[in-house]
Amino acid sequence: MKDEAIYRRLFRTALLIRLVEERIIALYPSDKIQSPVHLSIGQEAVAVGVCDALRADDLVFATYRSHGFYIAKGGKLDAMFAELYGRKDGISGGKAGSMHLAAPDVGLMGSSAVVASTIPHAVGAALSFKRRGGDRIAAAVFGDGATEEGVYHESLNFAALMRVPVLFLCEDNGLAVHSHRPIRQSYRLIEHAAAYGIAGRRLEEGWDMLAVRQATLEAAAHVRSGEPFVLEIATSRYKEHVGVGEDFHFNYRTTDSVDAWKRRDPLIVDAKLVAELSPELEREIDAAVAYAEASPAPGRLELLTDVI
Amino acid sequence: MTMAAAKPLAQSSRVLSYAGALLETMDGALRDHPNAFIMGQGVDDFKGIFGSTTGLAEKYGAKRVFDVPLMEEGMTGVAIGAALVGDYPITTHIRADFSFLAMNQIINMAAKYSYMFGGLMRCPMLIRIVVGRSWGQGAQHSQSPQATFAHYPGLTVVMPSSSQAVLDMYPAIINRHPGPVISIEHRLLYNLDFTISPADKRVPLTSYVAREGSDVTVVATSVMVLEALRAAQYVQDRAGVSAEVIDLNSISHPDWELVAASVRKTRRLVTADTSWLEYGVGGEVCRQLMMRDPGLLRQPPAMLGMAPAPCPTAKSLEDIYYPSQHDTVDAILTQAKGKNHGIDLPVERSMTEGYKRFRGPF
Repeated sequence: MKDEAIYRRLFRTALLIRLVEERIIALYPSDKIQSPVHLSIGQEAVAVGVCDALRADDLVFATYRSHGFYIAKGGKLDAMFAELYGRKDGISGGKAGSMHLAAPDVGLMGSSAVVASTIPHAVGAALSFKRRGGDRIAAAVFGDGATEEGVYHESLNFAALMRVPVLFLCEDNGLAVHSHRPIRQSYRLIEHAAAYGIAGRRLEEGWDMLAVRQATLEAAAHVRSGEPFVLEIATSRYKEHVGVGEDFHFNYRTTDSVDAWKRRDPLIVDAKLVAELSPELEREIDAAVAYAEASPAPGRLELLTDVI
Repeated sequence: MTMAAAKPLAQSSRVLSYAGALLETMDGALRDHPNAFIMGQGVDDFKGIFGSTTGLAEKYGAKRVFDVPLMEEGMTGVAIGAALVGDYPITTHIRADFSFLAMNQIINMAAKYSYMFGGLMRCPMLIRIVVGRSWGQGAQHSQSPQATFAHYPGLTVVMPSSSQAVLDMYPAIINRHPGPVISIEHRLLYNLDFTISPADKRVPLTSYVAREGSDVTVVATSVMVLEALRAAQYVQDRAGVSAEVIDLNSISHPDWELVAASVRKTRRLVTADTSWLEYGVGGEVCRQLMMRDPGLLRQPPAMLGMAPAPCPTAKSLEDIYYPSQHDTVDAILTQAKGKNHGIDLPVERSMTEGYKRFRGPF
């Protein structure tokens, strides 16, 4: 397939993610979405490029900032909005909300609000794939802050020792809530992975969906051959850590870095394609919102189901 | 030491140690489930988790039974990930205290996955943790965290008190239970021999009457069930007091109606648990009874557990840190006959010395 066609496919999904999150921003003041939201606006290219490069039967284990990965992996939009609304027809019946999106039918194996906690899950699933034979792989998606947690190191060590087919995918937006990376990390991620004998690569062009896709294809091929790999992708979080606003007025970061990113962001630069694709995508979102609005709220009957 | 009199073995009965029962169930899990595996520190070494996994790595291979780095949280996370794709992982902690390093995965993740995702995700798995006691285990090799784990919805917590309980419960857990289970095994039980009999087979994952009685109800857990049974025999022999002993067995999901029915009959209660009293199993027993009928008890209950301090290492302190047989007997007699019961108590001596010598059958 020509790059142009691939670009269009990736662009469409990335734009869908952005429009979905912009719709969430628009709906938020109505209080219909009573769930903390961690928006991935600015980071869409990573989710889209990664999921396009993975096989449909590969698994992704994700984080609380996973609207993008949910959509990119193929999760249903109506069930997602119903979940954000806390309704019965939400993918998890309203018990998950924004921070715990999952779609195991398409390989999104849960997302956790507790940073780094799903990383070993990807290792465990990949260990299982290896034992059973075949060439499925699992991807652990996490932010740069997660690499400071002990379980990240435990997971790398174990994956290297057991030669587990797992892709460690770091979305590096340089921020852990409001803390910048230089005050948090004494190491460089790829050098650090090398100390475990794990190959890795850092991609600076995290706005470039095709570059992300290509880097992931190469990383996934390495993993499929039976070795873990660390892929670190630079990206940019435009919005505040949690919530639908911006946070530049708190002066913990400047607009400069984000502005530089926006100047390369295809979802901004390629205004013509945005204009062409938006109406159809907005209609999809309208339908998903209507589905959520019409879905009943869960109640006493659901309160104590699925506890064990 | 006074134990239940050895009965002639019935035809189909056999004697099996606790460790032997564990080994049989581990073997059975690997044999019956191609996707079951066991991982933990030292599961494939010459000690084999006190004999409960010995030889299984050789029998089933290193892909099914394997050692891990020192990574309690990571290991538990790996187990969850494997469970999410259809494996049945069994993990081990040779001391329960190390399971605290895995708390994030156990409590924030495994306990939540079924509910938090509305039933989309299941992580059936068995976490085996061993409680140490005696010979200087000290503050960090002796903790018994059943109340901690049972506090969190989503976890099933069991404390098998005999070989029979292991044989009844583990296959039921591994074959059928949809969620994560924490089994708290007591180190003192491992080397004890028990009589196994098909006639004694019980419904797993609930509580049961270990000895029938009519004067006092003793609700006990784990090794304290054995202590309660010894004490019940003693008070029967010396004072004609009939104590009913209930093995709570399933800590997170006991049969509270069974407990309440017993207390309705006896109106007197002793709780005997392996951990601290504060916010503990005995307190939960009382809550359950109070919620049913605040007038169930004729008098305040007696509650046995560890002294409210970290566990000391010195033997002289340890011996008074845990409830002794003396304390257990006294608690039952005080409930039955009042504080001035005037009945001789068993000689105060280290309980664990008795367990070193004890070879059942029970």
